[in-house]
Amino acid sequence: MTTGVAHQGTARRRTGRRAGRGARRGLGGWLLGGLLALAAARAASAQEVGVRAQVDRSRVSERDQVVLSVEVSAASLDQVGPPDIAALGDFEIISGPAVSSRFQWINGRTSASKSFSYVLRPKGIGTRTIPALGLLVQGKTYRTQPIDVEVVPGGGGVPAPGGPPAGGPRGGPGRPQVPIRPQTGPGPADVRVRAEVDTRTAYVGQQITARFLLDTQTEVLNLGLKDNPNFPGFWAEDIKVPENLEMKRVELGAQPYTEYTLMKKALFPTSAGSLTIPGVAYQIQVRRRGQDPIESFFFTPTETLQRRTEPVTINVVPLPAASRPPGFSGAVGSFTLQVSADRKESQVNDAIGVKVRIAGEGNMNAVSVSPLPELGDFKQYPPRTSASSSLQGERLRGEKVWDYVLIPLAPGTQQIPPVTFSFFDPRDGEYRSVSSAPIAIQVARGSDQGGATLPVVSQSDVRALGRDIHYIKLAPDGLADRSRPFYRAPLFAVLLLLPIVADAGIFALTRRREALQANARQRRERRARSQARKRLKEARRRMAPASSRAFYAAVAGALSQYAADKFDTAAAGLTHDRIEELLASRGVAETLRSEFHRCLEACDYARFAPASSNQAEMQRTLEAAEEVLVALERSISA
Amino acid sequence: MTAGRAARSGARQGLWGRLPALVLVLAGVAGAPALASTPAELFGAGNSAYEKGRFDEAAAAYETIVGYGVLDPRVLYNLGNAYYKMGRLGPAILQYERAVRLAPGDREARENLEFARGRIRDRVAEPEAPYPVKALQEVLDVVPTDTLSALFLALYLAVGGLVGACLLSRQAMRQRILIYAALAVGLCAAAAGGALAYRIRDTNATEAIVMQDRVDVRSGPAADNTVLFTVHEGTRVEVRNRLEGWYQVSLPNALSGWVPASAVEGV
Repeated sequence: MTTGVAHQGTARRRTGRRAGRGARRGLGGWLLGGLLALAAARAASAQEVGVRAQVDRSRVSERDQVVLSVEVSAASLDQVGPPDIAALGDFEIISGPAVSSRFQWINGRTSASKSFSYVLRPKGIGTRTIPALGLLVQGKTYRTQPIDVEVVPGGGGVPAPGGPPAGGPRGGPGRPQVPIRPQTGPGPADVRVRAEVDTRTAYVGQQITARFLLDTQTEVLNLGLKDNPNFPGFWAEDIKVPENLEMKRVELGAQPYTEYTLMKKALFPTSAGSLTIPGVAYQIQVRRRGQDPIESFFFTPTETLQRRTEPVTINVVPLPAASRPPGFSGAVGSFTLQVSADRKESQVNDAIGVKVRIAGEGNMNAVSVSPLPELGDFKQYPPRTSASSSLQGERLRGEKVWDYVLIPLAPGTQQIPPVTFSFFDPRDGEYRSVSSAPIAIQVARGSDQGGATLPVVSQSDVRALGRDIHYIKLAPDGLADRSRPFYRAPLFAVLLLLPIVADAGIFALTRRREALQANARQRRERRARSQARKRLKEARRRMAPASSRAFYAAVAGALSQYAADKFDTAAAGLTHDRIEELLASRGVAETLRSEFHRCLEACDYARFAPASSNQAEMQRTLEAAEEVLVALERSISA
Repeated sequence: MTAGRAARSGARQGLWGRLPALVLVLAGVAGAPALASTPAELFGAGNSAYEKGRFDEAAAAYETIVGYGVLDPRVLYNLGNAYYKMGRLGPAILQYERAVRLAPGDREARENLEFARGRIRDRVAEPEAPYPVKALQEVLDVVPTDTLSALFLALYLAVGGLVGACLLSRQAMRQRILIYAALAVGLCAAAAGGALAYRIRDTNATEAIVMQDRVDVRSGPAADNTVLFTVHEGTRVEVRNRLEGWYQVSLPNALSGWVPASAVEGV
């Protein structure tokens, strides 16, 4: 445990109290003692507030939890707000705060302390810092010291460190500047302090009681801690010593000494390995010996000594990992479990209070898991937890109570299943589990329900109780090899190429056919004029009144065949209107078209008219036809 | 992981490359007649071992199936599950990734992959696709790759047929109708082709999973180069280059460096 201490006024109070005590015991210093007592009273009336933060372990694995407790000691707890935990960026708050308060009433003076416990889970690995947390106490903001927590990778137990954890408090009390004389060395008065522990081998989480003793041969007037004691690697709980220090006569090396118990601490190692309880430095004011009695009546001749206890090394044994029960949450000690329901009969939607109480000898701060599992037949609200600890003799007793409110959702006999709590008993060196008996709750239907209507159920969302991977899959229809996808198959490539090849082929074929057709058309068009001329020559031969019909047929044939050749159609179905249309499409002028038309009509008229025409008429028609053809040829090829 | 590697190389070599391995496996199995030998029997044996909580046995059975060259996404999924239950996150994530590549629509495989990825040490922010893209991806993921391929092919052939008919047609009106139809179907084919190309790119992306608890990523392909950053088991990296037993890998956040080839396993 790393302790970050920010005491304001505490050191003064201690010195003052001890000064008062020293004055009471002192023979000649009553005047000074009285003054000091006055000062002490004034100090007590002032608002003395101390805040400190500590964690139950300074080295955790990344999946473990850390219990952070912020303790406020003040004269009254009226205006103590919870710490501002917004700055806990390196940690995720799992639960909390669990608030517990302690009151003390000593010599007419009350002092109280309130602690806020949070269960944290570190985010990430490495050295994570719990920053200075601000608390609003009686309108003033007090800050704790930052604490470093070393987060190591891995899931299971915390690996045994090679030595005490490295992360000490930052800005914590340093070593005293004054060199300390060896305790056994010769001095004007032999005063020594030492630390005594009840055991030097302990399991992780087992209580070690450390007593800090003062052995003196001379009269001690005043006594104070040089700096606030700090026990890295331990969770420290103060064991109150009586206001009037216990006094004992002891012999040390055949020398008589008076021994006072100055301070007792219940220490809980938070990690395995070799941990050291560091020396605690005291400032001791003693009466100088061999003084003039007159002088010593008015002026107390004093001398201030610096003494530091020897560090004590504790061999901390890790909890056996092999036999660790599954639900073990880290509690070490000897605990009892009680589960009680406030009633055994209820109605649907009628709340039942269930109290789970775990109490016993040991540090309860490590117990953070909600002991009652999620129950399907009850609606369950987050429990109200309260924790308290007390001392029975020198052993720390802890008690943690979870108050659940359960709302039965279905009628019938519902069971609250047995609650199991596992802990490690350091006396026997083995794990123990305590279980409660299951509690049967008779749940009746709601009273307002008649026989005919269905019970009114308050609906709640289906909650996910846990998370895991989905189960394996079965293959009832056999396995399918998907190592070669369809797009890799040769068929796919063939089919991809197929339309390209086919379309290209079609394209080439149609182009070729068109080209051939175009060739034929061009030839026919080119030859249209000469063909027409040939036909007209033929007509000229028949230019005689006897064969006038044949002549006109030949001229009409030459004209219409010319048009058919030019426009690549058959001459047979070519009407005059169609020819007109085709000529117009080639941009032949209106006059030329009508000329052509007139020629054709003249031929038709002459062919089918009964009166035979004379030679001159024929000659004129032939010339007109030739002219028209020449003009047409020019117009079309232009 | 050698079985997985064998499976991949087997898949690459095709049937002929796989045959000797198959014969070897069959010969080995013949010596122990009680053992299951066909992939289906092995699958059943693996499943029953998994049910009884003997995950290592189950994983061995599934790996044997993969070693035969039979790649069924369900086998890979179950193999991932078995590795997950054994606490081996790297192989589990690798197998889930492979299963998702084979069957992108498998929600369970995706969720298990996400779940397993939630337990690895490295948190690497993957770029988030905007909503419409994501919705489209989800719809497309449901369609199996082969269906997508067939759809694309059908549309593509239809375009080919329409263009061919258009070429053959001699009437201007009919030609115009056919051209418009070909354009419309062609757009559909392009969409299907795009989806298929995306899928193929996804499937063939050169990604790898870190298989060792802790791997130093160095600035160059040799052990004496500076360590740039460290990745942990289960993290997915993209393989950029390969050089003499070293891979150049990069993370989605643009960090990049070289790792020994043995430290990662290609998906």
